[in-house]
Formats: sequence, structure tokens, C-alpha cells
Amino acid sequence: MKGFFRILLQIVSGVLDELSDRNAYRRHLALHGAMDCPAEWRRFQDEHWGAKSRRARCC
Amino acid sequence: MSRVFARVLWALISLAAAWSLGAVAQSRGEPVNSTWLVVAAVCTYLVGYRFYASFVAARVMSLDDKRATPAERLRDGHDFEPTNKWIVFGHHFAAIAGPGPLVGPTLAAQFGYLPGFLWIVVGATLGGAVQDFVILFGSIRRDGKSLGQIAREEIGKVGGFTALVTVLLIMIILLAVIALVVVNALKGSPWGTFTIVATMPIAVLMGVYLRYWRPGKVVETSILGFVLVMASVFGGQAIARSATFAPWFTYSGVALAIGLIVYGFFSSALPVWMLLAPRGYLSTFVKLGVVVLLAIGIVFLRPELQLPAFTRFVDGTGPIFAGKIFPFCFITIACGAVSGFHSLISSGTTPKLIARERHALSVGYGSMLLESFVAVMALIAAASLHPGVFFAVNSPAGVVGSTPDAAVATISSWGFPVTAGEMQTLAQQAGEQSLFYRTGGAPSLALGMAQIFASSGGGRTLLAFWYHFAIMFEALFILTTLDSGTRVGRFMLQDMLGQVWPKWGQTNWKPGMLITSGVIVAAWGYFLYQGVVDPLGGINTLWPLFGIANQLLAAVALCVGTTILIKTHGARYMWVTAVPLIWLVVVCFTAGWQKMFSPLPALGFLAQADQLAAGPQNATTPALIFNARLDAAVTGVFLILVATILIDSIRVWIGVLGGKRQAKTTETPFVPSRLAEEL
Repeated sequence: MKGFFRILLQIVSGVLDELSDRNAYRRHLALHGAMDCPAEWRRFQDEHWGAKSRRARCC
Repeated sequence: MSRVFARVLWALISLAAAWSLGAVAQSRGEPVNSTWLVVAAVCTYLVGYRFYASFVAARVMSLDDKRATPAERLRDGHDFEPTNKWIVFGHHFAAIAGPGPLVGPTLAAQFGYLPGFLWIVVGATLGGAVQDFVILFGSIRRDGKSLGQIAREEIGKVGGFTALVTVLLIMIILLAVIALVVVNALKGSPWGTFTIVATMPIAVLMGVYLRYWRPGKVVETSILGFVLVMASVFGGQAIARSATFAPWFTYSGVALAIGLIVYGFFSSALPVWMLLAPRGYLSTFVKLGVVVLLAIGIVFLRPELQLPAFTRFVDGTGPIFAGKIFPFCFITIACGAVSGFHSLISSGTTPKLIARERHALSVGYGSMLLESFVAVMALIAAASLHPGVFFAVNSPAGVVGSTPDAAVATISSWGFPVTAGEMQTLAQQAGEQSLFYRTGGAPSLALGMAQIFASSGGGRTLLAFWYHFAIMFEALFILTTLDSGTRVGRFMLQDMLGQVWPKWGQTNWKPGMLITSGVIVAAWGYFLYQGVVDPLGGINTLWPLFGIANQLLAAVALCVGTTILIKTHGARYMWVTAVPLIWLVVVCFTAGWQKMFSPLPALGFLAQADQLAAGPQNATTPALIFNARLDAAVTGVFLILVATILIDSIRVWIGVLGGKRQAKTTETPFVPSRLAEEL
């Protein structure tokens, strides 16, 4: 039972990380070999949301 | 032993599905408990997933975990990234779930709860989830390409271009109709209007906070945003009670429509970080939270359905929208049963994140089943309202009469007794001046949700808070769809214009950006305005138009899916997508034909124009006549576009099946996967 809740927590936290773009930001930092800093976050935000805003959202 | 246990378990689940469906279908004359619907839906989904979807995955698609997916082969740390199955599931579900599965079932409840319920469950299991799954599979096998690209490569250039134009037109109608839902929910409601207006500066504040004060702290920013939005829900009550401030936030439908049009333009032209991104995060979290809350509420409180299984309006004389149960129930509920828009998501980000081919089963098929369950919950919330209240809220003044006394007399004469006093008391409890003529589905759904939430604690004293919380929830993510849809429409238009004049294709070119934003906003704004001034409430016109358009896009996706299956297996498994395709084509073309040419003015656009032309004229009559003819033309264009892609597809199918055309697919060659098992 304890194991089940641990896995559930991992999944929920993973989904939150994905929906809050934390995973995408981590990948961005790794891709560019950059360190986490405000300027880098802004660069990521512009790139990521620039692309995201071109995709249709569902009704 | 475990094999025997599994067989017994599945036999029991199948029996539970059959028993519950039987109970729901045969119950007449007394309230039905929503538990039957929940059990029937969940057990049907489980059986569909375990047997039908697994059959499609194994036999039809031959999903192979040894085959590397685009996320692995094209991994770039940006778009393509192998991701945990459940994370992709959450991501995909958040992307496909919009206002559609909440509003559509609420409107279709005018036929009673049974037709909509059966269509949601059966349509999703055999049609909608199959469509999402097949397109996701097709995209995974083609480097994560979009529906338009796959259509172009598998069917031909005509099909590809047609798909692009269809999507743009559907987007315009979608934005108009969801904006109309917001306008109808907020008109004459200072509490609701204040709350929604407050979300705009809150979103900008969140944007600045996330960009400059606490860069990268998305969850923290979203929590801050949520707290502020909740404060605005509470603050709205004080505003509504204030003799000074209430008039500041009390607007007519036309004023709200103009406000939304201006908002749409700015949201499309402003930098994404300022409004779109923070609102996107906030609405995603609120959406998921409320869906979970509603599910818990329904499962624990088990409300009884007050609406009958069938109403008298199955004959096509419904006050919410005109038209018989066939075909109009099946186009009114699009999202939640079959939604063409999902094919854009299934061929968008999701295929680029799938780590193993077999994950497509739970992500593509499973997410759609979950959305279908959201639609069932919306139907339960709406059907748990007293029928007289349901019709008083959802019927336009043009149908039931322009005074409360006239409205209750008309609705009571239909066999759904309700009194003006009852409606007044309910309006007071909900913190509104009136609940009459609140067409669009959002207010009645909010009332149903508020009753469920209030039953869990606080009772009637908290009804006003929960009602406005539900309105805020619906409006928040409708506006998010409006923001992003306008921007996507602008990009699509710029892409199209850029083919002719490359300068227009540059999305950072300010004049192009402003003009195309203006064109898209003007396009949906026109239809919105048309809906607001429509004497029949607008929803009667625009929601069927949107439903037809969305289902036609599903037909386009299923044409693509059928082409892929024919090229892979010949005729053997084409029925998997061809059967839902035939159903949708019959439904959409029947509905489209009736909307254009029905001799009944309440149903047919051209008959409505003729009636207006023959009747007494006033200053608005020429515009109403033009609008009716325009709607007929738009419906005709949709049908022609889809007929074009259908004919083009059939030409390809006959060629392949007759051996005259090579069954050449654009599927990428097999590359062995090297991914570790844990993904």
C-alpha cells in the first residue's frame, strides 16, 4: 500500500512538473548547456510559449 | 488461477455494464440515481479499453515496443523527448479537455438524459477514442507529423489543403460560440463579470511575477493566481451587493461581446508571457482540480436525475436548439463523444513525447475515455436540476416569452412545472438578479455543479459562492481557449498569406501581426455579435454550426485513418475507422442539409431568412436576413470541403483496393528501440 501511494505521488508530481513546464525547462537547460538564471528562464519562456501558442487547443 | 480470476472479473465488469445500462435505459417516470450512469459508463469504458482497444492495438496497429518512436529517434531535448506514460497521459488529457464536453451534454439534455448519455459512452468507445488513437498511432509512425501533413502525404495535396482551410473555419466558429457562452453567463451579472474581469489583471500580474520577480516558479505563481482568483470570487459578492459598484459591472450582451472582441485582439497581439502563459497554467490546474472535485462530489453524493430519460423535444421542437434527436443530439455533443479537434492534439505535441508505441493505447484511447467521463459528469450535473428550472435557465426569451410570468407559463405548459417565485428564490440563493434566459449551457451547468458542491457542506448558504466559482471555472478556461485560439488562427492565416507574399508569413512583422489578428477577431467577433442579437438566443444557430464543423473535422481525421489502414492491411480492418466515419458523414450531412434547407424557420437558415423577409420589417431585419443566409453559406462551405476530402480519399481507397494504385505509405522504417524499460 505504501508503495502504491509512493508511485501515485511520483505520477502526480511528474504530471505537475510536465504541466508547469519544469521538465521542459530542465531539458532546455541541458540542451543549451545553460545554468538556471532569470535571463535563461525568460529565453526559455519566449521559445517555449512561442511554439506552444502556435498549436491548437481543444474545445 | 490468475487467468480464471481475470475471466471472472471481466465477466462481472461486463455484467455490471449491461445491468447498469439496462437500468438506465428502462427507467421511466421516477428519478434515477446517477450511480447507475457512473457504473454503466465506467464499466463500458473498461470493457472497451480491455477488449476493443487492445484488439485494435494488437491486430490493427501492431504496436511494437521494440520499434523506436520519434521521441527516441529524433530526441532533441526540445520537442521530441521520451516521457513517462502517465505524464504524457496527463499532458494529453489537459490539452484535449476544453469547455466542449461540459457545454454540449448540458445543451443536449433538452432531449432528456438518455440519448446524450448513450451517445457519449458509445460514441467515445467506438468512435472518438478510436479516432484519437489511430491518428496518434499514424503520427507516431510518421515522425510526429501533423494531421494536415499526413493528409497531404497519404491522400494528396487537395486533401491536405482542404484540411487546413477546414481547421481555420472551424476555429472561427468555435471561438464565436464559446465567447457567446461566456457573454450569456455574464450578462446582467455584476458578480460574475467582476470575477472574470479581475482574472485579466491577475493574469498580467502573474505574468510579471513569473518573468521578473520569481522566474521559473510556475506552481508558486499558479497558487498565487488561484488565491487571487478565489478572492475575486468572494469580492464579487460584495460588488454585487453594492449600490455604487454593481452598475459598473452590469452589462448587456452587446457590451460584453464588444469587451470580449477587444480582449481577444489584445490577447493575440500581446507578448505570450504577459497573458497567455500565466492564464494557460492557471486554467490547466483549475480545470483538473475542478474535474476531480466534481467526480468526487458525484461519486459520494450520488445525486438523483430530475430530468426524464426522454423529453417531448425529441420531436425537434426544443427551445434550446431546434431539430430532432437524429441528427442533432449527435452533433450537439461533439467533445465528449467524438471530437475532430482532438486529432490536432493527437498529431501535435503528444506523438513527440511517446516513449513506447504501446503507450499510445492508454494515452490516445484512454484520455478520450476520461474526457467522455467528464461529459457524463456534466450531463449528471445538468440533469440533476429540476426540469422546469433547467428549461427556464436555458430557453431564450424569443421562444418562451419575454417576461418571467410568460416564461414559466410556457415551460409549465410543456409539463415541466416551475413558478416565477421559485426562480426568484433560486436566483437570490445563487447571488443573481435573474436566472431566466441564461442560454448557452454554462449557467445551468454551474447551477447543477453548485448544488452538488453545496450538498457536500454549507447547504443553500454556500450556493451563491459555488455558483460563481463554477462560472469562474467555466469562463476561465473558455477565455484561455479564446486567447490561444485567436493566436493560432492568426498564425494559420499568416502561414496561408505567407505562401503568396512571404512577408506576411513573418510572425514578428508588426503590421502583419496586427492586421491578421484583427481579421481573425473580426471574423469570430462577427459571428459572436450575430449570436448576441439573435432573437432566438444565438446558441440555437451557432452551437449546431460548431458541432457540424467539429464532427466534419473528425470525418477528415477518420478519412486519414481509413486511408492508413487500407494501405497497411487492405480492406480487412478498414471498418475500425470506416464505420464511425460513415456514421459521422451521415449525421453531419443530414444536419447540415436540414440547417440549410429545412422549411421550418426555427431550423432552416434559408427558411428563417424567407420568414424574416416576409414579416414586419425594422432596422435590424436586413442584418438578420443576411446573417441567416451567411450561416447557410458557411454550412454549405463546410459540407463541400469535407465532401472534397471524402471523394479524394475514396479515389485513393478504390485505387489501392483495386490494385491500380500502389499501397505506399509514408511510415518511417523500423529502427530498434534502445530505451530502458522504466519508461
